[in-house]
Amino acid sequence: MTSSDDKKAVIDEIVHGTFVKEGVMVAFPLCFPGATTPITAAESHITALDATADGVVYGGTSGRLTHVFVGMFNGVTGIVFDMGTVEGADHCAAICCGQEYFVACVNGPGGGRILRHKLQPLPFDLIQEWAFSRQPFEDLGEAGKCERIVHAVTDLSRRFVIGTTDTHLFRVDLESGQVEVMCELLGAGRLGVGSKGGTFGLDEGNHLWRCNATTGAVMRKDVKLPPGSWDNVSLIWARDRVDGTLYTADAEGNLFAFTEERGFSKCLGRTRLAPVGPMAATFDGRVFGTCGEEISRLFCYDTDAHELTDIGVAVSVIERRRYGYVFGDAVTGRDGQVFFGEDDDLGHLWLYFPRIKPRRN
Amino acid sequence: MCYKVTWYQFTEHPDSDSCWSLSVGPDGRIYAAACAETVPGGIVKVVRYNAESGVLDYILDVDKAVDDPGDSGRATQCKIHYSFAPSLSDGMLYMATHLSGPPIDEPAYSPWRSWHDPKRCFRGSGLLAFDTKTDEVLWWDTLIPKEGCRCLLHDEERGLLYALSYPRDHFIIYEIKKRRRRDIGRIGSVNAQVLFLDSRHRVWTTNDYGHLVRYDPEKDRLETSPCVLPHNSAFQTGWHSVFYDAVASPHEECIYAVNWIADARLMRIWPTEGEWGRVEDLGPLSQKRDPSVPISTFIDHVGGLVFAGDGQLYYVASRWRDPVYNPLPGGHKEREGIVWRMDPHTLEREEVAVLERPDGFANYVSRGAVDCNGDLFFGHVGQKPVGLFKIDMPADRKKKNAHLPLRMWG
Repeated sequence: MTSSDDKKAVIDEIVHGTFVKEGVMVAFPLCFPGATTPITAAESHITALDATADGVVYGGTSGRLTHVFVGMFNGVTGIVFDMGTVEGADHCAAICCGQEYFVACVNGPGGGRILRHKLQPLPFDLIQEWAFSRQPFEDLGEAGKCERIVHAVTDLSRRFVIGTTDTHLFRVDLESGQVEVMCELLGAGRLGVGSKGGTFGLDEGNHLWRCNATTGAVMRKDVKLPPGSWDNVSLIWARDRVDGTLYTADAEGNLFAFTEERGFSKCLGRTRLAPVGPMAATFDGRVFGTCGEEISRLFCYDTDAHELTDIGVAVSVIERRRYGYVFGDAVTGRDGQVFFGEDDDLGHLWLYFPRIKPRRN
Repeated sequence: MCYKVTWYQFTEHPDSDSCWSLSVGPDGRIYAAACAETVPGGIVKVVRYNAESGVLDYILDVDKAVDDPGDSGRATQCKIHYSFAPSLSDGMLYMATHLSGPPIDEPAYSPWRSWHDPKRCFRGSGLLAFDTKTDEVLWWDTLIPKEGCRCLLHDEERGLLYALSYPRDHFIIYEIKKRRRRDIGRIGSVNAQVLFLDSRHRVWTTNDYGHLVRYDPEKDRLETSPCVLPHNSAFQTGWHSVFYDAVASPHEECIYAVNWIADARLMRIWPTEGEWGRVEDLGPLSQKRDPSVPISTFIDHVGGLVFAGDGQLYYVASRWRDPVYNPLPGGHKEREGIVWRMDPHTLEREEVAVLERPDGFANYVSRGAVDCNGDLFFGHVGQKPVGLFKIDMPADRKKKNAHLPLRMWG
């Protein structure tokens, strides 16, 4: 190598090595490309995502208005369909998919509301011809008078949604549409569903509460958080749907695993930046997430290698050329790809295809 | 007709590799930025053409003025990028710095890579209020922390500066009296290279996909037009058809603009007509070429749009040797910058000069301006040290105070 080769290699590393260092990211616009206009830039901050059992992705946006959308990428699809805006809402706190319905938990100046909609059926061939129509949402009402919804998740049976407002825990029966306020509880951060199906959220005194979605039983201060920086943390979770392990991080980016059988692990590693943003686990157990503010970076925790690595800044160079800076939610797709919802003006739905791990001898 | 061309090299800033900003100041004199973006530790100096002595005066080392020296170890105050914005009422010339120059001990700088690195990260775009009456910097501020300013505009009646940030492509408003910044949000990934103002105080630019983007102070938000700006539909989609340069007609309420992509097209925009203005496609400005090869951004280029005292639109388009479309004779330079003069009414155009520098190509022109004496000036990007061109306007086409009304954006 000559010195000019060395210099070129350093420059290449600075310029290109900054971005997605393993796998591929593709930013998909919030539209049916070539057939519809994308959701308006200032209304397209994706703050909530969920997926159905067969990998169809639903999302909600924040900004000047809240839109609820569905993304389909399997079969002859390739679309984000804007299912409509929610009057009086400017923030989507959660999207929760059931077997037949999904709910959108949205907020506005008047507080939070829960809206239900049937799952979107697959369209006909989106290369040749198609038909779509917008159907109205069913307003299931508030989860607490004028209270903002903090977060919500679907239970493992996909029958119930457990959620929190500023001061209450609530449950939604996805089949009947009934909303029930269960108890007083200060909602803080996001909720996770554990390995045995319990729903967990941040409780007082560095603890987690646990809720049985079926019986409605709530156990306060059920699990003590491991040593870490938990004050003012905005709790976030990733769930390995193969073995049910939950992953979370403290305010300094220290990553932990949690199962209902074994409790919390020791610290698995620290992300390069804090706070940790949305993350999701793929089928081989690797956890992919974002960390840092303003221009976040992706990270990977490899459960086999017990390694936490930085994988760079998000960028899309296939079809859509876009830098990805801020993400609001993440969910695992049908084949283990990870969907990241971009929480930015002109937000896109980002598909991350992780690198295939090399064969072990 | 062939106009006289004189080359002024930035000899006192040998590291200068680009002159991104060239504007007429509120005093009718020509200001230019001698930028050093490829040199580790490089900094920008501001020069001014001295019409009396016919030389360049070096009037400001910007790194010193904003207390961010080139050897700081951070990305440097290396350039002013389309970010001179004059103020006629008080003789001020606002200028905002941009990034990309590497730290003194590194060969390159990536703002994405170093965003969270306090040792390397660019400190931020420095905004300077330069008094052209006294040649003093009256004050400076950080316009955009950690980011550079890609282009700047001054709405003098409202006392507001508008900017686009890099790399995040946010739209920034700065209240001069209160020295307060507001971030209105992200536009995209490809910075537009210019902002323009209409008579309703609306600020216009473009997004990644060639749509007009407009900030309306009445609504206090960015809006995007439904239509895509003119582009070559044979191989382009509108992507990257962001504005490169835009100049207001001195006589009509319209803007002439070119986009920042190969086969740049000239367009005329009537911003106050209809909901989204009226856009006329006036056609491509550079030569034909083989579109199966992505041509260098630094070869196929059009810039330097300026109206002169004769009421004609001038611009510089590059021309280069092409075996099929432009087989120049042996011995001819590979690339050259052609100064065109266009009649805005008939759209007839004629070549009036070829830009020549003795030691290299002169095909890439960033900005153009006309001074109070009516002569034309063009900023050049190329082999270092770069410089600027002065084009003597023929006597019958020359007019005093041809710089008025002032261009209020970089």
